[in-house]
Amino acid sequence: MTETRRRGTALAAALMGVALVLTACGGNDSESTTDTAAAAKTRTVTAGNGAVEIPAAPQRVVALGNTTQPFIDIGGKPVGVTELSASELDPIPAEQKATYEAATKLGADTAEVDLEKLAGLKPDLILVQVPDDEFEGIKKQLEAVAPTLFWGLDTEWKAFADALATAGNLTDSLSQQKTQFTDKIAKIKATYPAIIADTKFVAVDRWDNSDPGTFVISDFGCIEIAQGDIGLNAPKAAAGADPLGWTNLPFEQIAGLTKYDVILYPVDAAGQPKKAFAPVVESNTWKSLSTVTSGHALGVFCPGNNSYGPVLQYLDSLDRALAALPAKK
Amino acid sequence: MTVLAQQHDGPGATTAPGPRRRLLGLVTALLVLSALLVLSVLIGSTEISPSVVWNALFHPSADIDQFAIRDYRLPRTIIGLAVGVALGLSGALIQAITRNPLADPGVLGVHAGASFAVTVAVGVLGIREIQGYMWFAFAGALIVTLMVLALGSTRQGQSPVVMVLAGVCVGAVLGGAREAIQLTDPEAFDAMRSWNAGSIVGRPLDLLWPILPLLAVALVLALAVSGPLNAMALGDDLATAQGVHPARTRILAVVALTLLAGGATAIAGPVAFVGLMVPHVARWIVGPNQRWIFVYSILLAPSLLLASDIVGRIVMRPGEIPVGIVTAFIGAPVLIILVRRNKASGL
Repeated sequence: MTETRRRGTALAAALMGVALVLTACGGNDSESTTDTAAAAKTRTVTAGNGAVEIPAAPQRVVALGNTTQPFIDIGGKPVGVTELSASELDPIPAEQKATYEAATKLGADTAEVDLEKLAGLKPDLILVQVPDDEFEGIKKQLEAVAPTLFWGLDTEWKAFADALATAGNLTDSLSQQKTQFTDKIAKIKATYPAIIADTKFVAVDRWDNSDPGTFVISDFGCIEIAQGDIGLNAPKAAAGADPLGWTNLPFEQIAGLTKYDVILYPVDAAGQPKKAFAPVVESNTWKSLSTVTSGHALGVFCPGNNSYGPVLQYLDSLDRALAALPAKK
Repeated sequence: MTVLAQQHDGPGATTAPGPRRRLLGLVTALLVLSALLVLSVLIGSTEISPSVVWNALFHPSADIDQFAIRDYRLPRTIIGLAVGVALGLSGALIQAITRNPLADPGVLGVHAGASFAVTVAVGVLGIREIQGYMWFAFAGALIVTLMVLALGSTRQGQSPVVMVLAGVCVGAVLGGAREAIQLTDPEAFDAMRSWNAGSIVGRPLDLLWPILPLLAVALVLALAVSGPLNAMALGDDLATAQGVHPARTRILAVVALTLLAGGATAIAGPVAFVGLMVPHVARWIVGPNQRWIFVYSILLAPSLLLASDIVGRIVMRPGEIPVGIVTAFIGAPVLIILVRRNKASGL
């Protein structure tokens, strides 16, 4: 790049930054007065990007990346969001879907966020959960618009829900969900103590983008909750190793699932095998598995594992599946 | 068509290995291929005893391990055989037409056309199953190669150099368009990952049957033009003097290689190095006679593909490495060694 061009690029970037800041700061007088009043009360919250001063009661929240669904799930009403995929949107309750539809869509994902549109929403708080490097790329632009809270993808889901609720001033509605969760876990543990103690489970899955003729043994997502909170005995990667679910296994290894007592496989809300998993269920190897023929393959619905609402749906589904488990011979 | 049936020994016939060495090599190649076909059914990512494999093939029952043999390893082996034959022969054809020992079907835009069409199918039309986008790959390869053939035609007929340049240009344009779509739709890129790497895992035989007749037609066409291509290695004028019709031969050869490479790419994705390396090795063994090169390529290419696939099944157990990655890993160093030892097998 020549010196002239480098200068030109820098000038363009600078002008863009100024434009964003001006857009963010723009507005009529009455709105400015309201903003000033709301901003008068602030508090400091710590997130992945450090301690950030945010409004005590944020009114215009923008939720980006993985914060969109969890923030709506705890009762948040964001003014702007990144888009949810059809598979994320399908299982959420109607009122949450309405909240999502009412919010301004800022882009398919955080990397493609329309910053001008975002600034035009005049948010008083921006919530972001994306990969660290992706956040670094837009950090300055977001912080120029409004106080921004960031969490990395490695944030544990319960801690993430707590952090979102604290940031959005939604701790009351979250505490209701937490109580439901605790009660549900306790109920499952009390109902199936022998199964939980003596059964070797395995969770299998297949994604939309999985290679043809392959499946995975899943050790992340909903099964982590079943393992961690309920105590199900299911395979997981050794400490420091890549998750088992990252390795595509060819279909001929379906036969190896016979060494487990119970197979948990993914189904949709209607109880049918998830579309991506259907090729596994349709294979002769699956059909001839003793675990399958004896009724020990259980379809479980996992709409998500990043907030209490979907996790509660998963636990309900797991509860029903365990109740249908034939008595062990 | 009588011209196509004429005998031509090709240039350098006096320096080529004798018939005995060629036949001995042919029998060896046949034995190696047969052994690899057996190993491909015997060896997988799980341990299944040879007796179970035998019973699965000759005394079928509902035993779970037998399903693994009949439903996965056997189809995978047959598909590997067909894809290997198609890639090897198409590579031999393109090297003969362009008189360039470093050419492979990719230089005519076959891979670029197939990849672009698959990207459109996956990214724009939302087709995620290989049974659906396979036909886009085939059509893309076919259309782009015909386009390159048209662009490469001059008033004097088809010029190999212009054809290659047209192929490279069209390939670059389509490659850019493909990447643009993939960048705006990362999910589409993710869904194409396995196909892009070149893989024969999880392909049912149902994918092969509709393409097999086209591959058979292309095989016959390729063998039919092998004699005239020998004559054309001496130059179009001399070939014409021997009664060969260069333009017709080139068109038939391009049709054959498009069907072969397009069919193979549609099923397995762009598998690197097989089409480039195998004809090279064949030429080193049998000399410049295209007929022998074609026959050897038909035997050696599936051997390389199946050997690479077997390696890919066992080196990263319990997972697997796609065959396209293994052929590149094995093929590149082996080709360099061969070229350095034998001063390159020119055309």
